[in-house]
Amino acid sequence: MDNSAAALPGGTAVAAGGGRRRNYARRYGWFIVPAGAVVLAVILFPWAFTLFMSAHDWKIGGGRVYVGFENYRKLFTDERFLWSVVRTLYYTVLAVILPMIFGTVAALVFHRRFPLRGLARTVFILPMMATPVAVALVWTMMFHPQLGVLNWLLTQVGLPPSMWVYDARTVIPTLVIVEVWHWTPLVMLIVLGGLASLPVDPYEAAKIDGASAWQAFRHITLPLLMPFIVVALIIRTIDALKAFDTIYVITQGGPGTSSETINIFLYLQGFAYYNMGYASAVVVVFFALIVSLAALLLWTRNRVKDA
Amino acid sequence: MRLLERVGFALAVLVLVSPAALVFLWMLSLSLKTELDNTAWPPVFIPNPPVWDNFAAVFARNDFLLYTWNSIIVSFSATALAILIGVPAGYGIAKMRATRAAMVILIARITPGLSYLIPLFLLFQWLGLTGTLTPIVITHLVITVPIVVWVMISFFEGLPGELEEAALVDGATIWQAFRHVAFPLARPGITVATILSFIFSWNNFIFAVVLAGRETRTLPVAVNNMLTFEQISWGPLAAAALLVTLPVLLLTLLAQKQIIAGLTTGGVKGG
Amino acid sequence: MSEITRRTALRAAAGILAVPALVERVGAQQAFDWKRFKGEKVEASLTANPRSSLLIKHQQEFEDLTGIRVGAEQIPEQQHRQKFAIEFASGRPSFDVVGISLHVNKRQVGRAKWCVDIKPLIQDASLTAPDFDFADFGKGAVAYSTQADGRMDTLPEFTDYFILYYNKDLLAAKNVAVPKTFEELYTAAKALTDPSKQQYGFVGRGLRNANVVLWTSFLLGTQQRDTVSPDMKLLTDTPDAIWAGQMYQKLMRDCAPPGSIGFNWNECQTTFMQGRAAFWIDGVGFAAPLEDKTRSRVAGKVGYAVVPAGPAHHHCCLFGTGLGISEQSRNRGPAWYYVQWAVNKTNQLRFLTSGAGAPARSSPFRNEEAIKASSFPREFFDTLVESANIARPGLPEIVPVTEFRDTIGTALTNMVGGADPAAELKRATEAFRPVLEQSERGT
Repeated sequence: MDNSAAALPGGTAVAAGGGRRRNYARRYGWFIVPAGAVVLAVILFPWAFTLFMSAHDWKIGGGRVYVGFENYRKLFTDERFLWSVVRTLYYTVLAVILPMIFGTVAALVFHRRFPLRGLARTVFILPMMATPVAVALVWTMMFHPQLGVLNWLLTQVGLPPSMWVYDARTVIPTLVIVEVWHWTPLVMLIVLGGLASLPVDPYEAAKIDGASAWQAFRHITLPLLMPFIVVALIIRTIDALKAFDTIYVITQGGPGTSSETINIFLYLQGFAYYNMGYASAVVVVFFALIVSLAALLLWTRNRVKDA
Repeated sequence: MRLLERVGFALAVLVLVSPAALVFLWMLSLSLKTELDNTAWPPVFIPNPPVWDNFAAVFARNDFLLYTWNSIIVSFSATALAILIGVPAGYGIAKMRATRAAMVILIARITPGLSYLIPLFLLFQWLGLTGTLTPIVITHLVITVPIVVWVMISFFEGLPGELEEAALVDGATIWQAFRHVAFPLARPGITVATILSFIFSWNNFIFAVVLAGRETRTLPVAVNNMLTFEQISWGPLAAAALLVTLPVLLLTLLAQKQIIAGLTTGGVKGG
Repeated sequence: MSEITRRTALRAAAGILAVPALVERVGAQQAFDWKRFKGEKVEASLTANPRSSLLIKHQQEFEDLTGIRVGAEQIPEQQHRQKFAIEFASGRPSFDVVGISLHVNKRQVGRAKWCVDIKPLIQDASLTAPDFDFADFGKGAVAYSTQADGRMDTLPEFTDYFILYYNKDLLAAKNVAVPKTFEELYTAAKALTDPSKQQYGFVGRGLRNANVVLWTSFLLGTQQRDTVSPDMKLLTDTPDAIWAGQMYQKLMRDCAPPGSIGFNWNECQTTFMQGRAAFWIDGVGFAAPLEDKTRSRVAGKVGYAVVPAGPAHHHCCLFGTGLGISEQSRNRGPAWYYVQWAVNKTNQLRFLTSGAGAPARSSPFRNEEAIKASSFPREFFDTLVESANIARPGLPEIVPVTEFRDTIGTALTNMVGGADPAAELKRATEAFRPVLEQSERGT
């Protein structure tokens, strides 16, 4: 992160520049003010409102009653909510690990020069850019047990047709497939950026020393890539925890409640059952969960950087 | 040995690229076939002959052009505003190394989108803004500003400070140093930020669902509404889906060099 | 003399108190005029379905008739319900006219008094067309639109009955008769199920929330018939309810295609239209594309029958849509004009003959000419009329209907997966009971 200092020639220049830079530090704050103001305005008000609502029992079409911590207490004994937490974690673990693996492998592949690389790379990143709702509808058609093309493909290679999103046991892995398809390119791009930034010297030295490709990878590439991998990990984790569009369009949380993640549960409580107060409590708890996990990963990142 | 390695490598590339390509190709195929062909078993792959009825149906039934225009206005505005306030913010944070400020902006990314909806909806109702595109643009800032700031932070952190140092030594204010030295250098980063911000704003679904009125709807909402009560019309649905996602796909195709180069540049100077 | 003056004064007072669009009446009543609100605008928010499509398609007719500009849109069911509830709650909805699914939102809309009482509007001769003919509306439909406190806050648009669709060819091939009871249905469906040929005897909704109405179809044949007693006690874990659950489980597990666990009406419809299912129980409003040769492989081969009888009763599920005028609307006159037009005899006839559902009015059913010209066979219309005679609401009239459907629906979906009906229903009932009690206490 901090290599502007390293790039400066000479020690005295650094000292002088450092002094002046320190004076300006406060002035740089003004650069942030507009963005900060907008973000706070568009975020702070809803947050205040959400916290306020979470302490009430408010149904759309009904009145508002102050209930204090009752919503939170109910939440922690609500079986449906607790199960949604379990499902969210299950979904997130799969939806983070798989893209990380595939994305890193893809980055390694695309780092090498080969004919038509530009075209291949472009096609590879298209899923990330496609409109999730639109693509989810297409996936829904592909998942149809009798008429969908995916089951036809399975039967062609001799496998039995799958129930995809129509069976409680396969629905979450199936949704993960869509998520992996959608977001692996993001991981690939982040890691690719890292690979492109790797210095050449260590590799030359390793070659001279007679190291194999795998050893070079394990001891040079991987450690230097770590910061990038961690960034990808954090972004993926946050996004996977919050995944909504795809699940909403394809299963709405079904069959039954077997793909109901926290976000879907939140949506149902607020917009289908009109329990605005209860839904607000879910938002607060959900946010706390995401922040804790993100903080955990960031702490790991800082430790890795300092190492 | 070399040949085996190359074949294996080619296979790897093929395996990586096919899922992406095949899904889009299937979407295209569905949109060009009749309803009977689309629900045939075994599936019909090549439309024979290709029918354009599905696309015609999409334009005939909804105010599709209006929604496209809405999406364009919303995404452009949200992106332009985000660049305006996000690039300086990214610069400031990078210079101050104020990771804590970055955290605040990250909160926007972390918060579930649904929690913004009801309070903001009620606020906009009270202000009398519903029925215009303004509320949607403002809520989209929640998406675009964090992206721009995040990209620009890594980018500016990667820029060597010498040139600005030189300008400051020459007596420029930090604003001038920013405007005349750092900003022009930041073009690749800004390009990336613009493209990514536009794409994610275009694709957003959940905000427009609640906040948009009949004439201010954006495309993702329109395409979800196409699930009519008659049946799943696979042809028109695929056609609509393709139309909705086509602009961002084209943008990606045209700008892929910038996207990848931008990220790579930031990477070379950073880390 | 003084009496006339008093009457005039009262009318004047009423006129002043009335909505601004109404003109003050002096003495005689003003004649009805379609062009009265010429130049004004009305916003209609409708649910996405064939009927709304028809209304939007023929919108120009209304605009020509009245000079009122219409902004109408149709939104998918789930989203529509969420959207209008939120807009009503905010106090300033963006629409004047709204289509309400009575089987889901009747109680909610009634309790919150979101829509105006239509009865006074009907009685106002200056605002209601002389050929409106309110008596033409079916008694059941009118009763359904009327709230418990007597307010009629929606005008019935159409009613949906659950009927039995069957594939004539598949039945004829195995010489199976059209079943008259649910047990017969099961036997027939079983006989027609041949997974190796991808043929199934039955297809029905398995998707949570949507599937409840299939289960209540079976329940309506039992002694208890309803899911909630008149004094608001849940009857969803009784022996009758369990019997209905077992029937649901049997049909779905033994005779329905795999994957039907996640089917809503549209997947069922696609399956039936591909000729893969012999029997399908669902709403009559989904019949439209079945006779469309460009979309359906079974066009011309579809049989329509009343749903089979249960052990104690013979009923079919009744659902309905009504059009309401928002209490907050500032265009009540134009809104009422739109509503009148939307449910006039012409439009209602259009609904009927295009297979878009059963209109609330009775006159379309007597229009022989139109029926003969329709692409739907005589059997279809006969089934509609017979179903109307035995129709009974298929969902309870409570406020948290969606949550009810979700809770019971999850239990039903689990049953399709193999769970024990009694245990699932008991659990769902326990889970929902506090919700119902709290809603009845009323906030």
